[in-house]
Amino acid sequence: MKTPTKGPVFLRFLIVSLFVFYMLLPIVATYLFSLATRWDRSIMPEGYTWEAYQTAFNLSYFRITLKNSLILSIASCLVSFIIIVPTVYLTQINFRKFRPLLDLLMIIPFAIPTVVLALSYVRVYTFQPITRSPFLLIMATVVYTMPFMYRSVSNSVDAVDISVLTEASQSLGGDLWNTLTKVIMPNIYPGILSGMLLVFATVFADFTLAKLITGAHFKTFPMLLVEQTQIDGNVAAALSVISFTLAWGISMVLLWFSSKASKSKKAQPSDKAYIGK
Amino acid sequence: MAKYRREQKKNFLKKIVGLFPFIIFCLAFEFVPIFILVRDSFSLKSGDLTLQHYQSAFEPTYLKGFWNSIKLSGVTALIGTFLGAGIGYQIFKWPNKKIQSTLITLSDVTTNFAGAPLAFGFIIILGSAGVVTKFLLNTFHWKIYPDFSIYSFTGLILTYVYFQLPLMVLLIIPAFSGLRQDWREAAQNLGANKMEYWRNVGIPILMPSMIAGYMLLFANAFGAYATAFTLTGLRLPLITMQIGSAISGEVMREQGHGQALAVISLLIMGACIAIYQMGTNKARKWSGH
Amino acid sequence: MAYLTLADISKNFNKNPAVEHFNLDVEKGKLVSFLGPSGCGKTTTLRMIAGFETPDSGVIELDGEDISNIPPNKRNIGMVFQSYALFPNMTVLDNICFGLRMHKMLKNQIVPKAREVLDLVRLSDTANRYPNQLSGGQQQRIALARALAIEPRVLLLDEPLSALDAEVRVVLRGEIRRIQTNLKITTIYVTHDQEEALSISDRVVVMNKAHIEQVGTPQEIYREPKTKFVATFIGTANEFHGSVCGKDSVKSAEFLIKTNNASLFADGDEVFALVRPEKIDVYSYKPENIDGNVLEGLVDTITFRGAETRLGIDIGEKVITADVPGKDVFSYGQRVWVAFDSNACQVLK
Repeated sequence: MKTPTKGPVFLRFLIVSLFVFYMLLPIVATYLFSLATRWDRSIMPEGYTWEAYQTAFNLSYFRITLKNSLILSIASCLVSFIIIVPTVYLTQINFRKFRPLLDLLMIIPFAIPTVVLALSYVRVYTFQPITRSPFLLIMATVVYTMPFMYRSVSNSVDAVDISVLTEASQSLGGDLWNTLTKVIMPNIYPGILSGMLLVFATVFADFTLAKLITGAHFKTFPMLLVEQTQIDGNVAAALSVISFTLAWGISMVLLWFSSKASKSKKAQPSDKAYIGK
Repeated sequence: MAKYRREQKKNFLKKIVGLFPFIIFCLAFEFVPIFILVRDSFSLKSGDLTLQHYQSAFEPTYLKGFWNSIKLSGVTALIGTFLGAGIGYQIFKWPNKKIQSTLITLSDVTTNFAGAPLAFGFIIILGSAGVVTKFLLNTFHWKIYPDFSIYSFTGLILTYVYFQLPLMVLLIIPAFSGLRQDWREAAQNLGANKMEYWRNVGIPILMPSMIAGYMLLFANAFGAYATAFTLTGLRLPLITMQIGSAISGEVMREQGHGQALAVISLLIMGACIAIYQMGTNKARKWSGH
Repeated sequence: MAYLTLADISKNFNKNPAVEHFNLDVEKGKLVSFLGPSGCGKTTTLRMIAGFETPDSGVIELDGEDISNIPPNKRNIGMVFQSYALFPNMTVLDNICFGLRMHKMLKNQIVPKAREVLDLVRLSDTANRYPNQLSGGQQQRIALARALAIEPRVLLLDEPLSALDAEVRVVLRGEIRRIQTNLKITTIYVTHDQEEALSISDRVVVMNKAHIEQVGTPQEIYREPKTKFVATFIGTANEFHGSVCGKDSVKSAEFLIKTNNASLFADGDEVFALVRPEKIDVYSYKPENIDGNVLEGLVDTITFRGAETRLGIDIGEKVITADVPGKDVFSYGQRVWVAFDSNACQVLK
């Protein structure tokens, strides 16, 4: 092994530093801006204040949109769980041959632009009470997050050979309920939980589906944020910080999770393509 | 025998009934809406078949939207793929494992900074009253506006590259670690020098991952809406923006043209994702997993 | 005159010795195998010959030339990897042509030469397929062909068969030996499988914990192990730990073992007396007129192995392993007598 010469080491350092700078710049700027009193004459803000956060908390829509977004995210997680977990389990146990078909079905939402999904829902479900309802929005976010919920679940199902576990449990006299709660779930819950966290983060950050499906009927947190970018920059920055900090926290939990449970593979990078754009 | 068969049928029904929620869900919220979308794109209000909507999809306004979207996606995916691969390689080769994993975590976390917050982050820095804009003006008397604008196509590129780069980094690092050491050694052993190894073995083996990465990045940018909506509003027409307008009825005409635009976008995204899948499958097969 | 010489080679990884004072001469056209448990340094030695590792000290000479400082891509030494290491992006034929192209062979000679070696490994019909369309055994043949195509000065095989099924392994090792003998190519073969090493090699180098235990023909290694490690690593051996007592016996706590091989040691030296299972006869009665060792015991385990049956016989302090003809019938718990000749008993430190 040759030791690398100085040139490439310097180049590597330079390239990576520029990358880190570019990646951190907008984030750091947003954090500082949300706290800044005045920041247009110098390279750093002239003073710091919590005022923007206070204003944000006092916005008439703050509580409602936050509540709406939380309801939406939690509901999507639950629906996603109910739709996907039993399906993956039952397919693996009873219809193993059809796993490739299931893989394909679960990939399809990757290819549907969110605006197209929204358009199709709005045009098909034109009747009351479904039309433009939060229910429809939940269904849309479940479809949209399906690929990575599925991948998380199926990875952990594949990692522990679920059919053998089921057969072992059955041979020892376990019924379906006991098999599921005492044998299967404890083995695959890290995958399910990380899938659900990813769903939560994605749905919470979603602007497109909410704006286009429910619009003003059911205002979400990102909609408030976009609105505020036109009204008060500092408040918008404060909202950004709240939103990003939440997503960042979930990300850290996910990373901690995947390092803890090495069995269940990390979320695929491609899943990251779908967060809130 | 008949009884046995009945028994079997019952068993099968019992097994498949658990899949009903999923099947119904997929039909109701995936296939039927998309099917009706496609059908509507080919039919008039009266129900007659028509290609009229596709004709209007090729009007200059929408052509412009498609062209902008394709140009933006193509350019940012290209920048993202090559810069991302280069940065990914440097991170992959980073000798200190702690720093390396911190850099990967950074890429992972920054993918969460997207959409409206990202667009607004860039407005804070480089908007017409942005921090850097003002700083350059006050300190160096350098007026970057109006030659540069964050609300322009260039601004969109700068912003989109922000979310393309870390994604590519995350995609390509596994590809680099999939390059097995014994391939390099086998090549050396057969007389290849470093250059010859990369040209004949390393780069061709990375190729499927690179193509897959490009396709995912392209689709990623093509389908994006919130970032551009926050940054440019409706001033700079992208196809997703135009479809969005069709939903809210801001441009109300014969209903079908939005569906036609949607179907074309669907085809473009579908092709990207299909190629992406083929690429990753090939890469997976090659690395033997 | 040695063709390949390794003179006093040592190599450390993070201050842990991987290979220590390794000396070996290999004659031209011979197949020498490095045999030992994993981590014994056999692969590291091989990789030093290939040039992937640099020895900390010592010299590697090939055909009179010191190759220690030649980069691996200039050594013209062929290597076959455990994981085949076929390039997945190239067809079988392209894989084989690769080395020829790198060696700047004339364009019009490359393909004929590649076809020739492909014939040699009897896989001509796979030329246009990709590696992942082939079985493991086929892939390893292609890897062999690829290494042979460049007409290497030495062929190195790094556990080439260990990823394959038992059946394929036996067939392929015969194939490797056939090709090696036909081409008279000097070959180093690394393996942890003693049967493989014994059946394929002209000479075997037994390694353990970074050093050589013994070098010899397969027969020598099996029949006259020089160390206890060799005796127990190659085949099965019954050991009796004790001290030399007179010129012809080893005295352990319970037994006095007669042997003709104790003369090298002084009285009272701590030694092991070793007997191979196939050298032991088992009687269901107390044998008379036997000049040698007779011990009494009970049948503890019976393992039928086809042509022979392996018995574990409990003789009190230990269980002796003995191979008897498969037609002889014993039952569990049966009282038996084991007998072995004093010649059959090897004495080692």
